Amino acid sequence: MDFINKIIELFSTEKYMSSIWLGLQTTLIISVLAAMLGLILGAIIAIVTIAKDSKWMKIPKLICKIYITIIRGTPMALQLFIMAYVVFAIRGFPQIITATIAFGLNSAAYVAENIRAGILSVDIGQTEAGRALGLTSRITMIKIVIPQAIKNVIPAIGNELIALIKETSIVSMIGMYDLTMAAKIIGSGNNMASYIVPMAVVAIFYLAIVYLLTFVIKTIEKRLRASDKR
Amino acid sequence: MISVKNIYKNFGSLAVLNAVSCEINDGEKVAIIGPSGSGKSTLLRCMNLLEDPTYGEIWLDDNLLTAPDPYLHPDVIRASKTYASLMKTMNNDEEVIAKIKAEDLLKKHEGKEFNELLKKIDEQNRIDINLARRQMGMVFQHFNLFNNMTVLQNLMLAPVQLKLKTKEEAEETARKLLRRIGLEDKADKYPSTLSGGQKQRIAIVRALAMDPKVMLFDEPTSALDPEMVGEVLDLMKSLADDGMTMVIVTHEMGFAREVADRVIFISDGVITEEGTPAELFDDPKNPRTQQFLKAVL
Repeated sequence: MDFINKIIELFSTEKYMSSIWLGLQTTLIISVLAAMLGLILGAIIAIVTIAKDSKWMKIPKLICKIYITIIRGTPMALQLFIMAYVVFAIRGFPQIITATIAFGLNSAAYVAENIRAGILSVDIGQTEAGRALGLTSRITMIKIVIPQAIKNVIPAIGNELIALIKETSIVSMIGMYDLTMAAKIIGSGNNMASYIVPMAVVAIFYLAIVYLLTFVIKTIEKRLRASDKR
Repeated sequence: MISVKNIYKNFGSLAVLNAVSCEINDGEKVAIIGPSGSGKSTLLRCMNLLEDPTYGEIWLDDNLLTAPDPYLHPDVIRASKTYASLMKTMNNDEEVIAKIKAEDLLKKHEGKEFNELLKKIDEQNRIDINLARRQMGMVFQHFNLFNNMTVLQNLMLAPVQLKLKTKEEAEETARKLLRRIGLEDKADKYPSTLSGGQKQRIAIVRALAMDPKVMLFDEPTSALDPEMVGEVLDLMKSLADDGMTMVIVTHEMGFAREVADRVIFISDGVITEEGTPAELFDDPKNPRTQQFLKAVL
């Protein structure tokens, strides 16, 4: 009974609700902006890494390779700290930008690997057939390889976006007020003096966001696969 | 039409082709046969530069497709520093050139004159590979139809993208070609719904949609169920009857004998024997050819 009363208390107290709303905004803004940055930067890195070896591409390729290795090989929390306390250690610098960049750069490395794997998964014969007809490698890529790669890439990118949304919860470690932080504050002694209720409520918020995203990705996937068989 | 001049192809330390030269003449149908792993597919793929030969040159009519190979141009060799220094001791043009060729003596830096001569050959003869490939249709063992497109789109993609035809013209040609192979009803189907034989016939007309001067076939029936081999060979035969120049890598000895004007036998990266089907199949000279034919016929 106490649990239900607490839930009612949480949802009916304006202070708590506005806390959650504020935290939700932060979580969503960081997630959306970081996802956009990650997708764009990730696509660029993927293009560089799969480009043919030539003397102009040597250095960009090496940089991308090192970048991916470092990002994937170090903890996200550490990357966030470095962004907040080293790179953007400027008083008054908006934290939301710090967090967006940190998560965007992290996500880009994973997205790049997903895209690269997706493109490589398209049978080499498809490329050869395009080139044998006299198409340039660019047109072959755009018209033949990428449309087929997308089908393989979408599920992996979806997983990456889900991981990104959940991982934004660590921004509370640099003192940002996101959804997770909101739960912690609401549950503290000065407020409800019980963590279980706000934590459970916030968990449902995360679940709802992730579920919605999963649904969208599944729908896109189904659409793309529909053209396979007819 | 196609001249293959002294090509070598190495994959790492593995030498797949070793000093292979051959000519494909206008209107000729040439079958390339040989044991698996002998380099016959690699030779075919070198002709349109899907594989880049390590040394040697490929010509399509008067156009050079590969980078010029200095060893094939005596005047270029004569411009080299190596030639100049060897001439001091040997003093015999023919011997020096033979020695340089035999011992692969040309180095990376052979002086300005040498480089300029090579560049001149390149500028005068080299053609953009994409332009050359438009004239050379290719048919693959595994069909390689574009899976993300309908049959009609498969046939129209290259002519439209390369601005050789308008959409309407390309569609008209595509439908005409599909009618020829009796698959007009499949125009709006995706490749995944077709049988192997249908796929391969469509792959052949996809190449024909570019009006190529020569068709290259890379084991076109090897991935097919036995009952579908016939329909593909029939289409190839009708192409041959139309006078198309064809180079066919195949295991179908019966087909090679019936359709080919000339048969080339390759083993271990070398052309060991070539001749008319009658010469090669009925009276092979080379022991390696005899052994192979005994095993397959």
